[in-house]
Parts: sequence; structure tokens; C-alpha cells
Amino acid sequence: MPSTFTQAMLTMSAAADSPTDYVAQWKRTTGRKALGVFPMNFPSELAHAAGVLPVIIQEDREPITVGRNLLGEFNCGYTRNVADQAALGRLDVYDGFFHADHCIQLLGAIDVVREDESDKPVYFGQLMSSMSDDWAFPQVLGKMEDFRSELEKFAGRPISTADLARSIDIFDTNRRLMRTIFENRRSGDAALTSAQLQVLVKSSMIMDKEEHSELLRQVTASLNFVPRNDRIRVHLSGHFCHAPKPELLELIEDCGAIVVDDDLFHGTRYVSTDIGETGHPLEALASVYLRRNTAIPCPTRVQHEADWDRFLVDSVYASGAQGVIVLMAKFCEPHMLFYPELRKALEAKSIPLLLIETEHEGLPMESIRTRVEALVERIRRKQLSTV
Amino acid sequence: MGVDLGSTSAKAVILDESGAFLGASAIQMGAVSRAGMRRAIDDALDRASVTLSQLTATISTGYGRRLVPDIGRTFTEITCHARGVAALCPGVRLIVDIGGQDSKVIAVDEDGLVDDFAMNDRCASGTGRFFEVLARAIECEVDELAGLAMAGDRNLEVSSMCATFAETEIVSLLASGSERTDIAASVHRAVSARTLGLIAQVGKKTPVVMTGGVAKNAAAVHFLSSALGVPVDVPPDPQITGAYGAALLALETSGTVVSRPDVEFLPTGQTAHSCGNCDGSTELHMPTVRMS
Amino acid sequence: MSAPTLGKSNKIVIPTATNMVGDYWENLFTAKERGKQVVWYNGSAVNPVFQAAGLEWCHGEAFSARLAAQQLEKPAQLAGEEYGYIGELCSYARTHLGCAVLTKQARSEDENGIVGLVDQQQLASRLPAPDFFVNAYAGCSTGQQWDEISYRVFGKQVPIFNVSLPFLPSNKPDAGYLRGEEWEQASRYVADQLHKLIAFLETMTGRPFDWDALRQNMSYIKRASELRREAMALCRAAPTPATYWDWIASIAHINFMPAGPELVQYFADVKAEVQYRLDHAIPGVRNERYRLYFDGIMNWNKLGWLSRKFADADVAVVCGRYTHNAFWQEPHLIDTEDPILGMAQHYLLCPTNHGVKTLKHLTNRDCVDYGIDGIVFHASRTCRAFTNPQHLLAKSAQKELGIPSMFFEGDVADASFYKDEILESRLAAMLEGIDVRRSRV
Repeated sequence: MPSTFTQAMLTMSAAADSPTDYVAQWKRTTGRKALGVFPMNFPSELAHAAGVLPVIIQEDREPITVGRNLLGEFNCGYTRNVADQAALGRLDVYDGFFHADHCIQLLGAIDVVREDESDKPVYFGQLMSSMSDDWAFPQVLGKMEDFRSELEKFAGRPISTADLARSIDIFDTNRRLMRTIFENRRSGDAALTSAQLQVLVKSSMIMDKEEHSELLRQVTASLNFVPRNDRIRVHLSGHFCHAPKPELLELIEDCGAIVVDDDLFHGTRYVSTDIGETGHPLEALASVYLRRNTAIPCPTRVQHEADWDRFLVDSVYASGAQGVIVLMAKFCEPHMLFYPELRKALEAKSIPLLLIETEHEGLPMESIRTRVEALVERIRRKQLSTV
Repeated sequence: MGVDLGSTSAKAVILDESGAFLGASAIQMGAVSRAGMRRAIDDALDRASVTLSQLTATISTGYGRRLVPDIGRTFTEITCHARGVAALCPGVRLIVDIGGQDSKVIAVDEDGLVDDFAMNDRCASGTGRFFEVLARAIECEVDELAGLAMAGDRNLEVSSMCATFAETEIVSLLASGSERTDIAASVHRAVSARTLGLIAQVGKKTPVVMTGGVAKNAAAVHFLSSALGVPVDVPPDPQITGAYGAALLALETSGTVVSRPDVEFLPTGQTAHSCGNCDGSTELHMPTVRMS
Repeated sequence: MSAPTLGKSNKIVIPTATNMVGDYWENLFTAKERGKQVVWYNGSAVNPVFQAAGLEWCHGEAFSARLAAQQLEKPAQLAGEEYGYIGELCSYARTHLGCAVLTKQARSEDENGIVGLVDQQQLASRLPAPDFFVNAYAGCSTGQQWDEISYRVFGKQVPIFNVSLPFLPSNKPDAGYLRGEEWEQASRYVADQLHKLIAFLETMTGRPFDWDALRQNMSYIKRASELRREAMALCRAAPTPATYWDWIASIAHINFMPAGPELVQYFADVKAEVQYRLDHAIPGVRNERYRLYFDGIMNWNKLGWLSRKFADADVAVVCGRYTHNAFWQEPHLIDTEDPILGMAQHYLLCPTNHGVKTLKHLTNRDCVDYGIDGIVFHASRTCRAFTNPQHLLAKSAQKELGIPSMFFEGDVADASFYKDEILESRLAAMLEGIDVRRSRV
């Protein structure tokens, strides 16, 4: 497996590790505005069409200090970290904040952002989360129209249909480039580790898309196919809005497992579905919100006919994974709510499952090592016993 | 040899090439300790009348497994406990291991292989630490707790899952005149409730075997059995099942095929051993293992 | 740490209605035998609609609260844990979903599991199985997903309808409590959803919806609510004739008891009792020296314990967000001839459905109206919807009104999260601080 980073990987890593440095530099170079966006479904293409840089706010690595007195300690690490970032001025580089998702914990964090960035626009256009209803599409389309007019005010310029179509194409191109890499991994290419794949996705959430696509092309041009070794193949599932720590991904792959597929937000979920050229661009944006959930169901949405549990089983069969490691951000309610259905579905098919709860502060390395190694041992010993 | 270097104790078991016990040792050190590990190994070698150079394979397990020198490889304590208990108690389907500061539950299949597991190693909830807190609060030795708990008959709710706050609840009960026996019984009941929650993660299966230091507390076994509504069995020395399993795995990985040993299944009712000897060593009683 | 006594608290009891809620549940348990259709729901009080449609209704959270208040929640929580729900999940959902699991197991006579057959005979497993689900949950995103999960626990065999209730974030400068473009738009949107819900119910029941019955139901509920609000307003007096715990005790009534003369009579009796106490100087707490506001969802496991504990410290807990800013709290919005819009607006007024700007306004307003000395925040471990704004509310009350706050740890339905020592020491500290401030004035 290739282990040398090209300059492109270094550039993307730098953006992923220090988004605010990248954003500050971009603002200096372009003289334009940066928009802080909260995960997951805000239509960044619209913001791009307005000429601003949409950046999905990432969890950073600072220990939570002031945030402990802003949100309860039993809020998920991401939301407490966002509150901390807001309170300590680490979000000052953004000129405004927009979001579309209704996670009650995230709304609490954004209330803190409103308090601490009170001179900046904070706009919530709630996309309804009940996806199966006939009135879902019109509601979402209405919200896209609201987003357009609010973004025009924010950016101080109109967004034409042509602008939006162009931005959609740029974003789709970027998704396709990353999707190819994920598909290669699924088919057996072990050229990139899961930590490296995270760098690609995370930097895409931060950087100018055209710049990022060019870097992706440089990375893929320098990669050769690397066959997998005999590590146990696992599918990583979970973490719907912030990135699992790269050390955790590295630890998993150091314990005798290799990640062959995932349904992480900083993974397959982010790249799964193109908007495409269908109809009016605003309608296409509304439509992709619904189509994306059918493609990879998210437990933060309510869609009766889309079964995340069945999707997971199908993914495991498609990739040849031998087990599933669920990465659950501690206190993530939608995940906790759906988890028993996942467990039931995997047990019914005798697919080994391991649950790892993650937190903002610290990674109990030995504890996780024991669990992952136990999963690997379990799978191997059963393999031997059936020979 | 199998070495289990755990969070509060070090254990070593030595077998011969047929799987028969030669010697074993368990050292309480209170924390992961290389010194404790060396003592456990030296003590086991001494009891087995074997030297280090005569060992053909060693497997280590437990949190400190990577600290053990000259090992062939490691296995997690999940795999080792399952292997050990399945050998000692053939047919077991659920293993409940409660140690000094962690607890785990392992579901095994009909071949004794791990099906699923759940661990609590984040906090003292439902672990031996709870009993230390209890002993301190009601001012007795840890090995007196079983007798006190079995004599209690009132259920005084001790509901906090946090050991620190449970201690304040106990103090409050004492201050309001509750009997030490009832308090002890109630804390045992609370630990069983926590354990039940851990068991719930893998599903209740029978037969059930309890291992780990807390299994030496007959009241803990009794209360868990009541909570589950099924008998709970305890192997003769429940603290070294991990090291025993590691030793069996050492045999397997060195090429010896270990078929299911012909072990007489020993009944429960073992009295609790003291975990607090200051020299840390405990006397061990192992069954004779005959290979079929 | 001290166990609370019975000495100082003086709770309101309405002798003619002591079994109203218990009878309601006992009756509901027999719904299937009586050939009735049962709807399961959580969150918003859509029950007047169900009542008009001839259905029987089962409010999941209310049942979880009842179990917890009676200390009977453990079999349900254990069943939930066995099914796979982690202990940090909203304990309302965990308890109710545990009941769903038990109901389902009882139906299929499945005896496997941690919770044995004996426990299944207990209260937790007696809920009648649903004929369909309605999800109408404002504020908390967990609430919006909850019924979807119940739907899956029942194998997706039972129909479900989702009413989408938008959050009120105060996006626009004109946004405020009961006003602004955002409020107007959201009200109309939800009213439209309610019409869609009614169309769904017509399909489920196979009969046209009885609009007259709805109008009548809402007339009763409006009157009951007015009486309740009038009684609450009497507690501006010092010493207060009734406490927060009295309003907690009547949540079940206002939230899901059948609309009718009995409901109105109940709140008329409550108001009469409060008025009587006021007229005869009978206080809610024997020796009221402090008046506190309780923010957060109720800790149902510790209902009696907490009410006695505060009374022991000469504290009258006068009002709170959960009781005073919820449950048909703005009856003037209800037009009994055309109640849908007023109902829609009440569903939007769930106390977790506002951004912190509105919540600061409501909290500070109530603190002034009721002469509050300090705020107790219940930091409920598994209810993040309620705890979200608490720190910001505490800061605002201190900054705007000079009112101190304290936080204690507990939970809505899981007793293992309650930490008595924290409540005891922090309450004492806050009261001492209030004493010091008073001595300086």
C-alpha cells in the first residue's frame, strides 16, 4: 500500500487539520465571504453559487473549557465543542452561519453561536425530516427558495439559475472523484487508509471545490492499486455529522482489521448522491435531499420505506465485509434510537457487530484495542472452526 | 503458559503438553504492574517445578498483555475467558466476569466460541469497586460482606449508578439507622441490577458461569442468580479462568490439538476468598483436567 | 444528606378526582376487549382530535412518567436495554419503547429474555397494542423519530402518520413570542398538517370526522385551561397557596384526560381550593421563606421526594417552565368555532420548541410575575431538549434580574442518574446566598 503523501495530500491535510487558517487565507486572497455551515443537509451548492465559501464546521481538537458551562455535559462532543469554539472566538473567521437540520442538540449549540456571534446572521431553514409524506418535496423546495433569498442578502448579490447550475456541476464533479476512490476501496483497493480517506472528505467540506477537485486528481493520478492483505474486513458505520478521530481509524486498522466500506458522514454518505442535471436547479437541490436518504438512509430522518438496517446488511454483502464496527458518538440520540434495529438485522444474518462509543475528550486506546482485537479474534476463530 | 495481566491483579497458569495443570498463581497488586506480573510468573513456575526455558509457548492476555515479555502472541481476555470457562464448564453459554474495576459478559456458542460480548471498563458501576466502597462505608472487611448481605432482608434502594454517589446514599442510610446487613444486601442487589443491564446487551443465555474476583463473593453470586432467575455456577478458582484460557490457547497455537477436556463440572457453593492479602498471593484450587 | 420529611409540604388534593387518571389508564388497558381502535402518540396533545374521531389514545411519555412516579419503570427499562437501547438515550423513549417490547412479547407469548414472564404481568406490559401511530412532536428531534422507532419495533405492520412541527428559531428581527412572520407562517403550516391528519384518521376509522365533537372538545379544554391559568395566577401571592408540585400533579389532566365536563370541574375544583387557601392564609409550604422557579422537565422518579425536600428547606417552588409554559397555556388563542389554528399554535408552543431568545423572555417574565428569588435547574441527564438553553437562561436571569441559579443532576425517568448530594449542597449554598443578599438590602 502506498504510504507516501503527495503534496496534494499535505495541502488537504492542512485544510482538514486547521480549517480556520484555510478560510482566513481564502478570504484574504479572494476578498469574499465565508459561510459557516452546520451538518448535514444544508445545500452548500447554493452558497457557492452566491460566490461565498461554504464551510461545514468541524469538531476541533481543543479540550472543551468554556463550553462546559454553555451546554450540558451529556450533550454530544460535537455540539459542546461547537459551543466552545463559538464562545472562545474560534468561529470569528466566518461571516455568517446557516443550517438546515433539526437535531435538538445542534440547535442548542447554534443558540450559543447566536449569543457569541450576535453581529452576524444566523439562519435556520428547517428541512422537514419526515421524508415519506407527499408534502415533503414542496416544503423542501420552499426552504430552498428561502435559502436562496437569504443567501442573496448575505452575499449582497443575486444567484442566477446559471450560477446555481454551474455550482451543482462543480460539486457533483468533486463527489464523483471521491466516489470513485470509495468504490475502488470497496472492490479491493487498499491504496489509502481510512484515515487518509477521511482527509479527502473533510478537506472537501472546507476547501474551494474546484481547488479540491484538482488536488483529488493529483492524488488519484499518483495511486496504484494495492491489494488487501489478510486483515479482517470491516464496515464502519455511524458518526452522522462529525468525523471520528483519525487515531481511532488508525487503531482499528492496527488491530488486525481493514476498513473496506463505510456509511460515515465523513465517508460514503457525503459522496453518495449527485444532484444531476434534472430540471430546475432548485428543484434538483430539493430532490437530492430526498434521494440521498433513499440511497443511504440516515436515522436522523424519518422515512418509512427506507431501512438503514437493511441497507447495512446489503452493504456488508456487497463489500464482502466480515463484520461491522459501529462508531457511535456518545449521546447521539438518533443513533441510540435506531441501534437496536441495526443489531437485530445484523444478528439475524449472523454478521458480527462491535459497538464503540466515541467522545470528544480522549480515546481510551487500550480499551478500544481490546474490543477490536476481540472482534477480530472472534471472527477468525469461527472461520477456523468451520474449516 | 498463560499470563493474564489485568487491571488489579496478575495471574499465570502453566499446563503440560496434555493440558494438565502443573501450577498457577494469582497476585493482587491493585494496578497493572510489571512487578506483579513477574511475581505471578515466578510463583507459577515455582509451583509447577518448571523453569522459564522449559516453556514452549506463552500467550498473554488482559490490559497489560503487551507488557508481558517473550510472548508468542496475545489474545484479548474475551477470547481467553471464553476458552478457559468453556473448558472448565462445558456447555456454558453465558460468562459473567466481574473484576476489581471492570466487568464483562461473554456469550459463547455450543462450541465454546465467542458469539458476542459487552464490557464496562469506563466506570466502577457494577464492579468490585462498588463492594470496596460498601466495605469502607459500613466499616468491615471485604470478605465479611457476603455474610452480612445474606443476612439482610429489607430492600433499601441504592439507585445511583455512580460509586461516589452510592457511597453518599449508604452514609445516609446508616445515619437514618438502617442495618448494615440490609445495606449490604441492597448494594449487592444494585450491583446485580447493573450486571443485568450488561447481560441485556448480549442477551440472557443459560447455563451461566460467573468468574472474576467478585465471583468469590457467595452473596454476589446468589443475588445475580436471583435477579436472573437461573442458577449461576462458579468454577473452583474463578480468578484465573482468563490465564487458564490463555494457556490452552498457547497449547493450541503451538500445534497441539486440544479436544474438549474431560472435566468434572464442579458445583457452586465455594466460599469467597480474601482479595486483600498484603503479599497479594492466594492459594488456588484447580480441578484435575483429563484429556479425552 | 437527609431524607425529606412529611412535615412541611401541603399538597392540593381534589377528593372527587383522586382516581381520575388511574381510571383512565385502567380503562385504556381494556380498549381492545371493548373493540376500540387505539392510537399511540407522544408529545403534542392531539388527543382532542382522537377523541372526536372516536378513538382511544395512549400517550407514551405520560405512561413512562406514570411508571417512574410509581417506581414501576424498571421492567420496562430493562426490556428496553435488552432490546438494545443504551442507557444514555432519552429515558422517556427508552421506557416507552421497553413497554412496546413487552406489549409485543405479551402478544406473541414470547417468554425469552431478561424480563421474565412474571414481570410482564406488571403495569409496564399492559398497554394495548396500537392500531396506528401518530407522531406530532415539536422541539425535540428525538421525539420526531421516536414513533418511527415504535413503528419498527412493531415490524412496520401498523400504519403511522407524521405531523411535522417546525422549530421556532427566531430567524427574523421581528420574531418574538406569539408574533412575527415566522410565527404566522409556522402556525398556518401546522394548521394545514392537522387537516391532513384528520384526513388520515378518516381513512383509519372509515368514517367522516366529527367536527362538532372537536369544537365541543376544544371548548371544554379551553375552559379547563382558563381555570388552570387563573389558579396559577393566584400563586403570585406570597406565601403561595399552591406549589409547582401541585401543577405537576395536574399535568395528566390537562394533557390527555378526555375533554368534557369532568375535566372542567376538576380544574374548577383546583381553582376553588387555591382561592380558598388564599382567602384563609393556608400556604402551600408551611414556612415559605424562599420562592424558587424550577426549570427543566420533571424528575418523575423523585416526585414526592423533591416536593418534601424543598419544603423542608422552607422553599416554595412556585412555578416552572414545564408546567407554566406548556399544556394549552394560551387559551385565548383557541377559537372554539374554528379551533384548528389555535391548536396548531399550541403545538408550536411546546417549551422545547423555542430558541433561547424566546425562552429568556418567558423565564424572566415569570420570575418577575411570581416574585422569584432563585432558579433551580434540573439538568436531566437524558433530556437534552430541556437542558439545551439552561446555562444561557441562568446567565440571563442573573444579568437581567440579579436572580441566582443552581443546577442539580437527575433525569426524567431513570432513577440511577439522580444525585441527591448535589441537590442538597447546592440548594443550601444558593439559599445562603439569597440570605446574604437580603441582609444587605
